[in-house]
Amino acid sequence: MIARPALLFSMGLAMFAVPAPAQEAAAVIAIPPLTTPDEKATGAGSPAAVAWQASQLIASDLRTTAELVPIGPDQKDYYSYPEVTAPTFSRWRAKGAKFVLTGFVRSRPDGRLTVGCYVYDTVKGRELGRTGFVVAPEDWRRAAHKCSGIAYTAATGAPGIFDTRITYVAESGPPSARVKRIAIMDGDGNNLTFVTPGDTIVLTPRLSPKAENLAFVSYVGGQANIRIVNLTSNEQRPLVAGGGSMSFAPRFAPDGRRIVFSMQAGANTDIYVADSSGGPAQRLTAAPGIDTDPSFSPDGARIAFESDRSGNQQIYTMASDGTGQRRISFGGGWYAAPVWSPDGEWIAFTRRVPGAGSRIGVMKPDGSGEKLLTDGSFDEGPSWAASGHELIFQRAGPDGRPALYRVTLAGGDARKVVTPQDASDPDWSGVVD
Amino acid sequence: MRRALLLLIIVAGTASAQLPGLRRRDPTPQPPAAAPTLLGIDALRAEFAAQSGSDKVYFGGDSAVLTAPARATLAAQAQWLRRHPEIVVRIEGHADPSDTRDHALAVASRRAAEVRDYLMLLGVPAAQLSTVSWGKERIAVIGVSQDALALNRRAVTVLVR
Repeated sequence: MIARPALLFSMGLAMFAVPAPAQEAAAVIAIPPLTTPDEKATGAGSPAAVAWQASQLIASDLRTTAELVPIGPDQKDYYSYPEVTAPTFSRWRAKGAKFVLTGFVRSRPDGRLTVGCYVYDTVKGRELGRTGFVVAPEDWRRAAHKCSGIAYTAATGAPGIFDTRITYVAESGPPSARVKRIAIMDGDGNNLTFVTPGDTIVLTPRLSPKAENLAFVSYVGGQANIRIVNLTSNEQRPLVAGGGSMSFAPRFAPDGRRIVFSMQAGANTDIYVADSSGGPAQRLTAAPGIDTDPSFSPDGARIAFESDRSGNQQIYTMASDGTGQRRISFGGGWYAAPVWSPDGEWIAFTRRVPGAGSRIGVMKPDGSGEKLLTDGSFDEGPSWAASGHELIFQRAGPDGRPALYRVTLAGGDARKVVTPQDASDPDWSGVVD
Repeated sequence: MRRALLLLIIVAGTASAQLPGLRRRDPTPQPPAAAPTLLGIDALRAEFAAQSGSDKVYFGGDSAVLTAPARATLAAQAQWLRRHPEIVVRIEGHADPSDTRDHALAVASRRAAEVRDYLMLLGVPAAQLSTVSWGKERIAVIGVSQDALALNRRAVTVLVR
């Protein structure tokens, strides 16, 4: 569709530079091993063992970002417990590190662990952030992700993407009879579990902002309808009571209490909003045509959606009460599946060009500044990372088999997200509490 | 598991491949008493498809408009259905895989509704007709060529009982 090298050249190298470590903007962060005052205890789950594992996980978390390049952990950089809050800055400056992350793991009388982390600017010699977390020894990964998060926030000003959850549809079997299951995993791919058993077709799982609840579309009962599942209790129920009409395309509001979605009545499909805990649905659009894929702005005041009222799929925005509907996409082809970024700056979308497949792009909420981020043939369904700097999406190969990919807002090559089976319809939560 | 999969492929290869939920059915052999019923509906399906010309109609890209050949097929389907008032059908709408997930659901739903409305216009009682949208979840022909995409944009009239 577009000759990529030409695009690269015309738009300037900075915007489409290859991601870290070659990217200019990436800063070096030193990760000396976390330390512990309880050096006598050893073995799995001991403070010393967790401290070393957590240090490695923090480095591995930060390595997945475009903005930071971690060095370490290296055993010879081990700090003593008192030195954690007084690291030597000159040593790290000499190694080219702009930031240093120190921390400790300490056992508590109740058997749990306290994990503390500090981030410093080595040039200015001052603390940029700290976090403390009490976890069971087996939950040490979450504490490490929190440490990665403060480092990322200190360096970029954006929320970390590490203590998050990703849901998607795991697919297997032949195309005519795919087995589809809702899968959910940590932001780094760990702790994969399945929410549905695969006996019914399921689509478009969407997490509430803090990953407490999940909305998805299921064919249980013979037709597509939205269901809500509480991820703690596993209780499940339909969003719309009765379920006479097909309902689909759910997405949580930023407060996690409301859900916007599509419901079909006859040949018409409109956008509705309903309380996620039940109650009647309120209709927001009434134009003839297919209005779908609604997504709230982060302040909850506006909704982006897709409509074919003009003749083909285009992106519109409106106030959250349905007033002030206005079209914002005007390029060639069709624009679908808008998703508002967590910082409110961008709307990501799938752009279809008949005969040339589909790609992921972003535009400002007023429709300006459009840029395409991917060059696959069949890319679709973007979802933002909590940072607002990165997107996860689905890419299908020529054989139709989908997989998940990540791409940064700055461009560069999309990176595959490894899943045990084919995977589609990804959705990335905000930072978990 | 492997054996179940093999059975599933065999079942999917028969004329009833469009029947949703078939793969979920217990793959163990049916008791003899149930077998004639299954043969009966299969025979009826074959007769329906043969006498109607097809149990499927096809659509243009992003469209739910019935083409002239589609109307001819549906006229023949309506004739057969009026002769068999005891038969209930489910009209299953499908979209091609180049459509986006949710728009595909809505377009496929429109296609099924168009077929139902046209059959009713031709005198088939509403009680004989139901619809379901499969979006792009039941791909009939794999591939991204224009021909492959066109063969997926379809509505199938499936005899239920």
